Amino acid sequence: MGFLMLNVKISQTSPNPIQISFECNSGELHALVGPSGSGKTTVLRTIAGLNHPQTGFIQCDDEVWFEANEMRGTITALAPAQRSCGFLFQQYALFPHLTALENVCIPLQNSGLMQSDRNTTAMQLLDRMGIGDLSKRMPHQLSGGQQQRVALARALARSPKILLLDEPFSAIDAPTRQSLYKTLADLRKDLNIPILLVTHDLREADLLADRITVIDQGVGLQTAPPQVLFQRPRNSRVAELVGISNRFEGIFTEGSLTWLGSSHVFQVADKGKIPPNTSVAWVVPADGLSLHDQPTSNTIEALVEKISTLGQVAVIQLQVNNEAHSITWEASAAEVKRLGLESGKKSYLQIDGSKIHIMPLRPINDPRRFTS
Amino acid sequence: MDIEALLLSLKLAIWTLVLILPFGVWVAHSLQNMGKYRSWIEAALALPLVLPPTVLGYYLLVGFGGKSFLGIPLVFSFAGILIASLIVNLPFAIQPIQRAFESINPEIREAAQVSGLSNWQIFRLIELPLAWRGITSAAVLTFAHTLGEFGVILMVGGAIPGETKTVSIAIYDKVQSFDTSGAGALSLLLLAISLVAIALSYGIFGRQPSLQKRWDS
Repeated sequence: MGFLMLNVKISQTSPNPIQISFECNSGELHALVGPSGSGKTTVLRTIAGLNHPQTGFIQCDDEVWFEANEMRGTITALAPAQRSCGFLFQQYALFPHLTALENVCIPLQNSGLMQSDRNTTAMQLLDRMGIGDLSKRMPHQLSGGQQQRVALARALARSPKILLLDEPFSAIDAPTRQSLYKTLADLRKDLNIPILLVTHDLREADLLADRITVIDQGVGLQTAPPQVLFQRPRNSRVAELVGISNRFEGIFTEGSLTWLGSSHVFQVADKGKIPPNTSVAWVVPADGLSLHDQPTSNTIEALVEKISTLGQVAVIQLQVNNEAHSITWEASAAEVKRLGLESGKKSYLQIDGSKIHIMPLRPINDPRRFTS
Repeated sequence: MDIEALLLSLKLAIWTLVLILPFGVWVAHSLQNMGKYRSWIEAALALPLVLPPTVLGYYLLVGFGGKSFLGIPLVFSFAGILIASLIVNLPFAIQPIQRAFESINPEIREAAQVSGLSNWQIFRLIELPLAWRGITSAAVLTFAHTLGEFGVILMVGGAIPGETKTVSIAIYDKVQSFDTSGAGALSLLLLAISLVAIALSYGIFGRQPSLQKRWDS
């Protein structure tokens, strides 16, 4: 990682509550992920200066863009034009009366360059986006993907210190999206600036981002690299938001986890952070599960409910604890054949306690988190 | 044909246009960011639409009294009917421009802001060109409306040839003196000018970009 470039702390109660803080380093692609209405776009707009929170601190490359606290009110609030950031809007927001080239020239208005040099710079950017031949087209004569590329060229025209992308791929068809992913990956290497990507698509964030901040109802729940987020979600809500299907509840006491609704007890790692007899949520990754055709000492009886085969991968839905819980297990088609799995067949599931990740039921800042 | 009255009407319409358009653009643009007083200001600016011209004329007559404008008396003078015309035309000049500014997607303005443009640059390079159709529409409406204005002009200016006797007042005078052919000719001329002005506005400036695209392809 490079040195710290963007530091964001935002706190507001209205119009929609936001409570978030994160950092983004140069060269890092940081994704803000959350459901619709979770406040992701508000965070992005706040960084760009299009929204002013009640309190907060936004610093980019040693320059304070915004600072406000309860004691002194707003101390610094640079106008959007003074913040060196490229902003890609969800609906592109191209200037409809200007050609693609003129759109990209607009941010160069105050660059001190001559008109001819501005045109050359804008043309180079359009070429880099692979749409140099469309420079004279009006926005309405361009496809969604082409408009997106013009908007990206415009966002980069001022050589911004950070790039903010608001759901950039949501309105684009799948093949175009793939090629834009590649453009973004290439750009990222060349630019070496912090890039913030807002998306509701977790798969997209997993594919593109170095780190993800999960945001829900305006609150930043966890910031972590994708693999950490999927394996070690901070709490039950994060696990739910990142789509972990094998998510259960239990009672945790000094290294022992009792599966709620059954008598199964697992020996799990105890970091000493959770008091005894605490209700917890727990998740187990796919590699912590194995299925056997014969029972052993620590296996759980499981009934195959459904097998969905997707190419060489099969997703098996299992019912355990007298149908009280459902577990999803992924295996190769060959493994399914070896075990002779089919709907309604009895099987034996082994859960590796060392792979189990336990977490509070409620967010870390929620006073109710330790009450059972 | 009363050429003097026609020229006076054209002079009044052009002066009204020259003075009211910049003011209309400024007011329409300012109204966007006006807070709680906005609806009151909008109501006041729309008043000439619903107020009978004689009522407005009466207040202007009383208001002008013996006052003068740059040494020119206001009552029964060109300066007086010009001020009356400016007031009467406020809604025709402001409303189309205001609608045009309002129809600009707020994200377009924000995109201009984050592109580093100053407020003046945003206005000049983005908002004004995008509101252009509204501005031409306001110009045509104001022009055509001024040519046909009657009640307020009569109240404030009377019918002094070469000073306040516009085409519509000349038509009224000719009807009063049973010169129906003269009144008919002037009416036809006024009708033709108004029709051409509106047709020009619709034909040249009124095309939607989406329609344009369909025609081009």
